[in-house]
Amino acid sequence: MTTMPAPPTGGPVSRRSSLALPLAVARLGFQRQFAYPQAALWGLITNSFFGLLRVAVLLALFGTRPQVAGYTPQDAITYTGLTQAFIMAFSLFGWFDFMRVIHRGEVTADLLRPASLLVFWAAQDAGRALGQLVLRGLPMLAIFQVIWGLNWPPGPLAWAQVTLSVLLAWACGFLFRFLVNCAAFWSPDAVGFGRFAWAVLGLGCGFLMPLAFFPEGFRAVLARTPFPGMLNTTVELWVGVTSGPAAWAALGTQLAWTVALLLACRVTLRAGLRRLEVAGG
Amino acid sequence: MDNLRHHLTLYLRLLGAQIRSQGAHRTSFILDALGSLLITAAEFAALALVLPRFGGLGGWTLGEICLLYGLAELAFVLMDILFGGFDAPNLSAHVRSGSFSTFLLRPAPLTLQVFASDFALRRLPRVLLAAAIAAYGLLHAPLAAGPETAALLTAAVLGMICFFGGLFVIGGTLTFWTVDSVEAMNALTYGGRTLISYPMDIYSAWLRRTFTYLIPAAFLSYLPALHLLGRPLPDGLPDWAALIGPLAGPLVLAGAFVFWRVGVRHYQGTGT
Repeated sequence: MTTMPAPPTGGPVSRRSSLALPLAVARLGFQRQFAYPQAALWGLITNSFFGLLRVAVLLALFGTRPQVAGYTPQDAITYTGLTQAFIMAFSLFGWFDFMRVIHRGEVTADLLRPASLLVFWAAQDAGRALGQLVLRGLPMLAIFQVIWGLNWPPGPLAWAQVTLSVLLAWACGFLFRFLVNCAAFWSPDAVGFGRFAWAVLGLGCGFLMPLAFFPEGFRAVLARTPFPGMLNTTVELWVGVTSGPAAWAALGTQLAWTVALLLACRVTLRAGLRRLEVAGG
Repeated sequence: MDNLRHHLTLYLRLLGAQIRSQGAHRTSFILDALGSLLITAAEFAALALVLPRFGGLGGWTLGEICLLYGLAELAFVLMDILFGGFDAPNLSAHVRSGSFSTFLLRPAPLTLQVFASDFALRRLPRVLLAAAIAAYGLLHAPLAAGPETAALLTAAVLGMICFFGGLFVIGGTLTFWTVDSVEAMNALTYGGRTLISYPMDIYSAWLRRTFTYLIPAAFLSYLPALHLLGRPLPDGLPDWAALIGPLAGPLVLAGAFVFWRVGVRHYQGTGT
C-alpha cells in the first residue's frame, strides 16, 4: 500500500540473530495498519454492507432447504462472515507491492538487507495480515455474530486445525501473490497479469461462492490447484463440512501446496534477480 | 450549438490521446482487458454454476436473473467508461498530486477534462460480456416483444448510467473535502450495482425500502423488470411507477452536478 518501512533502528543487526530482522519487519508491518483508523472504519462499513447483500443472496438460494452440499443456512452465513473477515488479511482483491518495488528498481535496495528477499517480504506481509485481521477481521466477525450469529468450531481439536489452516492459507496465498508479482522481472505489463491472476483467485479460492456448491467436474479441476487452500479449506474446517481424517488430509494438501509454491518462488526469484543483474538494474 | 460541437470535438480529441497511449503496450492492454473481463465472468459464473443445484433464486429463474444482472452490469460498465474520471480513487489521485490544478489552467472546460481523464478502453470486453448476459436474459425470460418493452429497457439502461454516473460525481466531489470516505462511496456505487443485480425481494424489507424510497435504486431496473415480467410491484406501488422509474437516474445526475459546482468552487488546491 504505502512505501517501504524504514530499516529497524537500534544498531546494526548481526547475522547471528537471524530472527531479529524479520520480527522487527513484521512488527512494523503490523503497526503500519493502524495509521489510518478512519479509513479502516469506512472499509469495515463497506464490507459489512457487501456481507449483508451476500447473505441475502445465499439465503434466497437456500429457500426452505435445510441443507445443501453439507452447508446449512447458518453455515452459509458463517462462510460469508469468514470470507468478508479475511478479505484484507489475505489480500483477496490483489496485491501489487512487490511488483511496484521491482518496477521502480528499489528491489536493489532490498537486496542489501541482511535477510533473504523472500523472508523479508513474508515477514512484512505476515505483520500486515495480522494487523488487518485485528483491525478489520475480528470486528467483522463480531458484527456477523451480533446480527446473524455464527457457527464456531466445536472443540479444541477443531480450533487447532482451523488455526493451522489459517496460517497455511496465509502462507499459500502470500507465496502465490509473491510469485505473480515476480512477473514484473520479465514484463512491464505485469499489472495486467496480476489483475488476471486475482480474478482467478477470487473464483478458485471460494471467495465468490462456497466451492461445495459448484458442479462436480468444476470442483475436480479446482482440487488440482492451490486455490482452495487459500480460503475454502479454512472455511470448511471452521463450519465442519470437513472433519475427521479428511481434515488432516485437507491440512496436508495445504502444506504440500505451500512447500511447492515456496520452491517455485525461490526458483523464480533467483532467475528474476539474475535477469536484473544482466539488465544492469 | 457551435459551442456544443466544439466541446464534443475537444472531448473526442482527448479520448483519442487516451486511446493511443493505452494502445502503446499491446500485451499489457490485452492482459488487462482479459483480467477486467474475468472479474465479471468469475462473479457471474459463481452464480450461474450454482443455480442448477438450487433450482432458482427466491422464485426467479436463471433467465430472469440474467435480465437483471446483465442490464445492471451493462449500464455500470458503460457508465464506468464514460464517468471513470469522476470515480473517487482517480479524482482524489489528481487532487493529491496537484494535477487537478493543471486542469484548471488549461483553456478547456474543467468538467470536460475530468470526463476524458480516465477513459479505460480495457473495459470494452466487459461491455460485450454484459450485453451477452442481458441478451440471454431477454431470450429466456417471459417478456412480451414489442416497442414498449424495448423502450422501457433502453430507458432503464440510460437511467442506470445516469444514476451511477451521478454517484461517481458525488463521490469525486467529496474528495475535495476528504479522502477517507472514498471506500464508503464504494458501498453505494459497486454495492449499488451488486444490490440491483438480484431480485430485490430477496432482501429484508428495511433494506429494500431504503433502496427504494431513500436511495431510488429499485426504480432503475427492478420495478421496470417486474412490470415487464407481469409481476406486481412491492408495497402496493401503482403500475405507472415502473414506467417513470428510469427518471430517477437523470434526477440524481442533475443533483450531483449541482454538488460538483459547489465542490469546484470550494476547491483551493493542495499547495503542491
